[in-house]
Order: sequence, then C-alpha cells, then structure tokens
Amino acid sequence: MADIPAAGRVPDATRRSSRQVWRTVLGAAIALAIVATAPLYLGTYMTNVLTRALFLAALALTVDLIWGYTGILTFGQSAFFGIGAYACALVFTHWGFGAGWAIGALVIGIAVAMVTAWLTGLLSFYHGASPLYSSIVTLALPIVLTQVIFSGGRFTGSSSGLSGFPTYYWKIDTWFWIAGVFLVVAATFAWLFVRSDYGRILIAIRENEDRCAYLGIPVSRIKTALFAVCAGIAAISGFGYAAFSNVVAPELAGFQLGTESLIWVALGGRGTLIGPILGAIGIDATSSYLSGNLPFLWNFIVGVTFVAVIILLPNGIASLITGAWRRYRTRGAGGGDQPRDSGIRLTAAPSVRAAAAAGRSASPPIRIDGLTCRYGSLTVLDGIDVEGKQGQLLSIVGPNGAGKTTLMRCISNGTERTGGTVTVAGTEIGRSSPQKIVGLGVGRSFQNTSLFDSLTVGDCLRLARYRIDGARPFYRSETVALPEPALEILAATGLDQRLGVETRYLSHGMKRGLELAMVLATEPRVLLLDEPTAGLTKPERTAIGHVLTRLAEEYGLCIFLIEHDLDFVREISNRIVVLHQGKLLLDGTVEEVVSSELVKAVYAGQDLEATV
Amino acid sequence: MSGVTNQSAGEARLQVAGLSSGYGPVTVVRDVSFSIAPGEILVILGKNGMGKSTLLKTIMGFIRAKSGSVRLDGSEIANRAPHLNAREALAYTPQEYAIFQDLTVEENLRLGVTEDRLLGARMGEVEAAFPVIAKRFKQRAGTLSGGEQKMLLLSRSLVSRPKIMLIDEISEGLQPSMVNRMAQVLRSTSAEKGVAILLVEQNLPFALSVADRYAILKIGEIVEQGDVAHADTAATLERHLRI
Amino acid sequence: MAILLLDILTTASMLFIVAAGLMIILGVMKLINFAHGAFLTVGGYAAHVVTAHGFSPWLTIPAAAAFGFVLGVVVERVVVRPLYSRPLDAILATWGLGIIIAQVIVFAFGREVQFAQSPISGTVDLFGTGYSSWRLILIAVAVVLGLLLTALLYLTRFGLNARAVIMNENLARGLGIDSIRVRAMTFGLGAALACAAGALITPLLSVDPNMGLPWLVNSFMLVLVSGIAIPGLALASLVLGGAQVLVSTFVSPIIGGITIVVLAAVILRIKPQGLSRG
Repeated sequence: MADIPAAGRVPDATRRSSRQVWRTVLGAAIALAIVATAPLYLGTYMTNVLTRALFLAALALTVDLIWGYTGILTFGQSAFFGIGAYACALVFTHWGFGAGWAIGALVIGIAVAMVTAWLTGLLSFYHGASPLYSSIVTLALPIVLTQVIFSGGRFTGSSSGLSGFPTYYWKIDTWFWIAGVFLVVAATFAWLFVRSDYGRILIAIRENEDRCAYLGIPVSRIKTALFAVCAGIAAISGFGYAAFSNVVAPELAGFQLGTESLIWVALGGRGTLIGPILGAIGIDATSSYLSGNLPFLWNFIVGVTFVAVIILLPNGIASLITGAWRRYRTRGAGGGDQPRDSGIRLTAAPSVRAAAAAGRSASPPIRIDGLTCRYGSLTVLDGIDVEGKQGQLLSIVGPNGAGKTTLMRCISNGTERTGGTVTVAGTEIGRSSPQKIVGLGVGRSFQNTSLFDSLTVGDCLRLARYRIDGARPFYRSETVALPEPALEILAATGLDQRLGVETRYLSHGMKRGLELAMVLATEPRVLLLDEPTAGLTKPERTAIGHVLTRLAEEYGLCIFLIEHDLDFVREISNRIVVLHQGKLLLDGTVEEVVSSELVKAVYAGQDLEATV
Repeated sequence: MSGVTNQSAGEARLQVAGLSSGYGPVTVVRDVSFSIAPGEILVILGKNGMGKSTLLKTIMGFIRAKSGSVRLDGSEIANRAPHLNAREALAYTPQEYAIFQDLTVEENLRLGVTEDRLLGARMGEVEAAFPVIAKRFKQRAGTLSGGEQKMLLLSRSLVSRPKIMLIDEISEGLQPSMVNRMAQVLRSTSAEKGVAILLVEQNLPFALSVADRYAILKIGEIVEQGDVAHADTAATLERHLRI
Repeated sequence: MAILLLDILTTASMLFIVAAGLMIILGVMKLINFAHGAFLTVGGYAAHVVTAHGFSPWLTIPAAAAFGFVLGVVVERVVVRPLYSRPLDAILATWGLGIIIAQVIVFAFGREVQFAQSPISGTVDLFGTGYSSWRLILIAVAVVLGLLLTALLYLTRFGLNARAVIMNENLARGLGIDSIRVRAMTFGLGAALACAAGALITPLLSVDPNMGLPWLVNSFMLVLVSGIAIPGLALASLVLGGAQVLVSTFVSPIIGGITIVVLAAVILRIKPQGLSRG
C-alpha cells in the first residue's frame, strides 16, 4: 500500500471530512432551534399552516432526491404520501387507536409504500428503459391508487375520504415540533447522504446513466433501492400529515399533488435539498394564507413563476443565491477550473487481477464465435470469429460503417447481438447487462468523451471503483485505491494534480486520459477502446500509445482497439483485424495486413469483387 | 446580391479563409483556407477522422465556425443557418443518412426544390443524368440499391439548381462503373452550369478523375494543395496518403 | 350487444379526436405537451362563448380551432421554444402553462359549471333504444379527422416538410426547410386540434375550468401506445377505449377509469415503441 506522492501538499482529508459532519450537525442544531422556538412567536393559525407545510416539505425532499439528484422525473411520489396517510386513517378508523396501533399503522404504511415502490422500480428501471417510461409509470401510479381509494366504498370513504377518526389531540405546538424534528432529521440524513460516496453515484446516474452501467454500477438496483427508501420517507410524512390534520382524502395520493411537489422542487432549486424544502414550505404556507384573500390570483402567480423559473432558471430560485455565493467565494480563488484541494488521496490497490489471470490462463480472455448483428434487414456484423489472447494488442480497422463500434457494443452488452457467442475468460456472456459484463472483466471506453460533467476527477475515479470497493452512504472516504496502470496514466497526464477539478474543465486530452484511467480502475482483463486518440495532438497520441503497449506487455491485458490512424496502429499493435461491410476480411500480423492488396483496395474505396 | 466584392484574382464562387471549427472545446478544423471558382471542382483528401466531414458541415452552417470566413460570391455566409444556405443554392450531400429512406423517390426529389411545382420542369435533367431514377419515381427510397440511392442524392442536388455542391464521399461502396458515371455527371454539371463543387473523398482514382484541384487535410489542417494535372501530384499523394 | 359496440366505437372516436393534437406535437416536435388538457378546456369555453352570444353551435368548432391556433403559436414562441433541448423540462413548463390557463379561465368565467349548446341534440332510435346523435356524429368526425390529417401529412408540402423534420431534422435543414417554422406551425396545429376537440366533446359534457385534465393522461398514454402514427392512434383508441368500455360495463366503472393507464403501461413495457412499430 504505497501512497502516491503528490507534488502539492497532501490535504488532511480526515479532518476535512469530519469538519463536514460537524458543519452539518451545526446546521441541523440551528434548524432544530428554529423549530423549537418558532411556535412561541408564530400565532396558532400560522403554526397550524406551517405544520402541514413541514410534512409536505419532507415529501418535496424525497422528490428532490429522486428527481433533483438522480434525474428520474417522478409524478408519483404523492402515491406513497397517500399510502402513509391512508394507513393511519384506515387503522385508526377501523381497527383501533393507541400507541401500539399507531406504531403498527406506521409500519404498515412504510412497508406497503416500500413494496409498491420496489415493484414500480422493477417494472420501470430495467436497463435500456427510456427515462420517459419510468415517468409514465410514476404517472400511472397515483392515478391507479386514487381509483383504488374511490372503489373502496365505506372502507376508504371513497371520494370524500375519512375524517374524524381518533388521533392524538396534542397541542398544536407539539405537532409542530414533531413535524419540524422529523423534517430536520430527514434533511440532515439526506444532506449527508448526497455528499457521501453513494450520493456521487446518484449524480453520476443523472448525468450519464449508460456510462455508469459500463463502469459496472448496478444502476437499476440503485434506482429501485432509492425509490423504495424515498417511498418510505414519503409514507412517514403522509402518516404524520393524516394524524395531525385528522382528515384524509384521495387528493393526498393524487397526481395533482405529485405534480405540485415537482413545482416546489423546481422553484426551490432541484438538487439542493434546502431549496425544495423552502419551496414547499413557502408555497404551501403562502397559499394557505392567501387562499382566503386572493385564491385565484395566488395560483396564477405560482403558475407564471413556475414557467418562468423552468425556462429562465433551470436550477431554481436557489441558484440565484448559491450562484452569487459561489461567485463571491471563487473571486480571487480562480474558479472551478483551478486545481483545488480535493480531500482525496490516491493509493495503490492490491493487484488482485494479476494473480487471478495467471491462474486462469487456460481459457483465453475473450473468444467470439459466429457473432452476428442485424438491425431489421440491415446486417451490420456477419459471422465474426475472433479470439483475443492475453498480452495482445489487437487493432480493429476498416472503413466507416464496417461494424467496428457495433462489434464493441456486442461484446460489452449481451442484449445487442443477434446471434453467435461471446466468451469472456471461459464464461459465456449470454444476455447479460453491461454491468454484469464489466464484472466478468471487460472494460470499454467510448468514442465521445462524455464524462460526468459536474463530478470531479476524484469522484469519477471513485465511481469507477464502485464495483470493486463499493460505496458507503453518509460517508465520504478520503482515499481511492487504484490499480497501478491507472495511477500511471493519471501521473502521466497530470490528472493526479487535478483530483478536485470538475471534469468539464479538463482539456480534451485529459478527458481521454481520465476515461482510460476510469476503465482501468475497474480492473479489466479485456480492454475495449473505441478511438482513444481521436482529437488528440501528436505527443498525446504517442503517450497513449506508450501506455497501451505497456498494458499489454507488462500487465497482460488483452486490448481491442478501434483506430483510424493506420500509422498509429502499425506502431503499437501486434495483430490487426480488418472489418469490411460487417465481415472479417483479414486477421493477421501487422506486416500481413499492411502488405495486403485487399486492404489497400478497401481503403481506396474500390469494389471488392474487382480486386479479389 | 449584396456586396460587389469582385476579387482581382478571378471571382471565387466559394471562398473559405482561416476557418476553424470543432465540437465543444475540441478543434477539429484548424485555420483552413481555399477558394473554388465557378465551374471548378476541388477535392479534399485525407484519411478518416482528419476533419473532412466537419469542414463541410461548418461551411453548410451545421457546426459553428470558431473563427474565419466563408464567402459565397463575395458575401459572408459563415454561421448562417443551414436552411438559409440551402435556399441560397448550397447543395449539401452528407455521407450518412443522406436520403429519407421512408419517403418515396419523388418526395425526396421534391425536398430538393423550394416549391413542388418547380420539380416538373427540372425532371428533364434528372432523366438525362440518371434515367433509372425517373423510372423509380413512386418507389420508397429505402428500397433502392446502394448505387441508386447515390444517384438519387445527386439528382436531388441537381434539381435544386445549386451554385455550390458540397459532397461527402459519394463514391463510398460503389462499383467502378457507377463511380465513373458519378464522375461524368459531376464534371458536366460543373462545366455546363458553372457549379463550384467541393468533394470530400477517400477514393483516390475517382477523386483524381473528377477534380481540377486537390487539397490534403491532416488533423484538421490543409497540408498540401495543388492542381491534379500537375506532374508532382502522384508523388505528393503517395507521400501523404499511403496506407 | 349492438349498443355495446356503438359505445366502443364512440368512445374510441372521442379518444382519437382528443389525442390527435397531442400526437401531432409529440410526433414532429418530440415534445410532450402537458398543456393539452388546458387546451381542451379552452376549446370548451370557446364553444360556450360562441353559443352564449347566440351564434350557431356549428361555429363553435372552427372558432375554437382558430383561437387554438393563435394560442398555440404564441405559446410555442414564449414557452416551448427555449426548451427544445430539455424535453423533460418542457413537460413541466407546459404543465405550469396549464395551471396558468386554468386560472385565467377562472378569472374570466368563474369556477362554476357552464354549458355549451349542441349543434345536434336528442337521440336516434337504434335497435330499439335511443342513442345520442352527437355521439354518433363523433364517429364520422373521427374518421374525417383521420383522413384529413393523413392528407395533410401525405399530400401537402407542409406535410412533406414536417415528415422530413420528424425523420431527420438536420438533413431537412440542409435541404432548406426552416425547421423552427415547421415546429411553430405544428404546435399551432396541435393546439388548434386540441381546442377543436374540446369544442367537439362539450355537447356531451359540461364545461368547467378543469374539464380537460382527465383527458390529458389518457391521451398521453394513447399517443405513446400508438407509436406516433395516425393508424396506430386509431388502433390504440379502439383497443384501449374498447377495453375501457368493456371493463366499465362488466366489472366496475371505477376500474374502467384506470384501464387505459394500466394497459398502456403494460403494453409499453412489452413493446416500448408502441403498436405501429417493430
């Protein structure tokens, strides 16, 4: 475990991380103090209004986690709120009332909500589902639930709901404190959660879900889990809301409330937690307050503000304040593109793979038999047979449209191919999803460098290690353990000095370097690289070429490389495969391919039949 | 026509000067300059990934020029919307997805003219150049063979009565006989109608049979320009483009 | 039995008419217009205003369409155009627009239920029972609308341009088509269709500021299931509308109310591209 010496000072990451926790605790304490004292100077009416708003703010908090952070546009969070509310009302109305019943009802509410959310997640978060489809399902959810409530007759109170059931007739201040403490606790955990290693994964999913899958992150499972947890929190707030207001109605589970919660989040500022909370409290409290005086005008103002904010301030009203704050803070500090203290140290990961690979050398790292890929009547790949050996750098060349990228896709995603088999280190990939194939030891880089814009270099690297090292919620680790070749690339490109820089500020060459380092961080046996040098300068190309050669020779990786620059290919590879119109035209050494008349003809765009 | 800027060095139909462009922070085309006179054909040669297609897209207005100018008959058109360039007689033929597969041949041709009624009067040219296209009028374009699709592409450009044609690798995947036919049509179009043609090619024999001049693009920059007829051409090309 | 069949046909016709505007906008602009429900409401009120001023009830439909077109063009310019690159935000912005429209209607007409006169009232004697004549007319309207939209898309230059933009926007622009203008016209057309649909269904319903809302989600589901094509929409309306009628008749009207939503979610899980593709 050797620490990589950084040129700058090594930040005291431990102190930094605990400072973060203390700061959060301090914030929570201040919030609790406000909650504790608020009823003293607010009138009974305002306290009443705000208690409702606090429960709704917790709902908004969950919408922000799902939509603001993870990017799933959900119309259905109200359904879980409604489940919690109805669990309370149904149990208290029909079965009994008391501490035991209350706890039982709460547990039932949470359980039903979480199971519903889990089932919804299974239905809508499969790999390859369009973001629209999950939105459709979340839209259907509250509509279905409302109808279920309607059809419940006397049991659910149908359209008029249930009211007057026994509940705790505590003082209004007590209810306010309960709601306030609940919200502060939920918000504090959410705050720590989104800043933890796990929280970074949510943002990564929002920014580039597909890329996450190709780093071996189980996107569908994470989304489903998040959805279930948020459903549980929403159910608790619904439960509190019902117990406090002593009325439930189908509207609490309805699609309108679901959409309204989106408005609170959008206005307050998605992805900020505080913004949505203030948005919910502000809008709900003001509308209760104004509904007596100017009911229609108020809704109109909300509508106009909402549309204006969506168009002009996509990050919500909070962005005006945070933007100004950030400008103030970075003035003189040089902005986000400067290397900044990241609080992350790189360490060397124990080289598991070398040992594993040595023991398994019996089966080749990768073997492709009769691979075929068709889109409708168009055959893109036709009966490709290739075997990749350990330590071999195999370049795939061919004119545009030859099927090179499709070949990479068929290796890295089991659902892409039409026929044939792909075997990675003795395991047939079947119809596996990309993240499973990453688990088998296939790493893939992409043609375009669409990284995770708002994550830092360090975050991206940790993300790539999720499959191997996991991620802890509520905790921000200070080190990232990387395999040696990844560390070398970071050092060679100077990225190890820029761990705190957001990737959007990186140069194109650095992005390519980071991309490669991330793929290597997943400890692949087989590396699929799609034009890793596109758009790079000559020295950068040479550097990458050097690294690739070493990866094959010293670390025994099997590398598939798509490359247009034949000079480059000739310099670094020890085997070349030529694809043409979906068929494997030639598979041989560099000399064989370069001297082949056939290949010259293909590249000159001549008709094949004429030359063969 | 605005701007009576008749250059002294022969009137250029298309003049590109110091043009740079790319995607986001990446510069793909760097400081490219050339000009094409009416009735002249210039071919841009270079390997894959050198910025040839990006250059055409920048001239057409699909990709923002970071710097430099593009002039059509002396007036600046850099960064003008593609549809305005198309209406002012720039006919662009992309390399991929260049025809509407699900539309009929007729509909594809109608999209080449600004008003449907113009098509009838101009069909004669299509019939003369590619009789087979006129015969397949009602057929879905996606059912045409590869070669026929390329003919449709050129036909669509012809009916638009262009001043400039920007053509991206039209010869790719074609039989030699078809390539010769394309070359004939391009030569006669430029000679008879005074169209300036900018070709992007990887097929050397075709490029040399059709073009008056060539330019070699390497990593976004023009590294060599010359007359195809010049004695050094073969040697220069061999040096830059050998596999 | 015959009545059940008629119910299915008329329900499918109404769904087709109501969803057509949403589909045109989604097809050409790749944009989900959540103000669609509000546009339907606007059409209903347009019908109310026309008949309340003593004009012929037949005028309600062209009046609603004209008003809707103007409204649509304005909305496209102000709200929709800045959001083309953010499709999920466009859903929210158009939803917000729906709130605004509903409030403006409340300002102008109040919250109470209004009525619009029907061009044709009464029933026709069919198979021994009276059947609403307006419902029967809607079948004809749906057929004519389907034919007109098909003609517009396949026989006119606007339709050709719109289809070119749908298939490959960049290629269309490269051929001189002003895709921004095509989008504006399309949104105007979609809004006009929605308002006309609102006017067409008001004789069967009352007019209130939220009358369009229940139709929004069903239309949205139908359009997605249709695979964005006119025959697909007709098929989706028949299948899902038919299922709704059957479930409402034989099981329960309340479950009938969620038939379309649930079936659509299931169909889209199995065939994400909808009925008319692959």
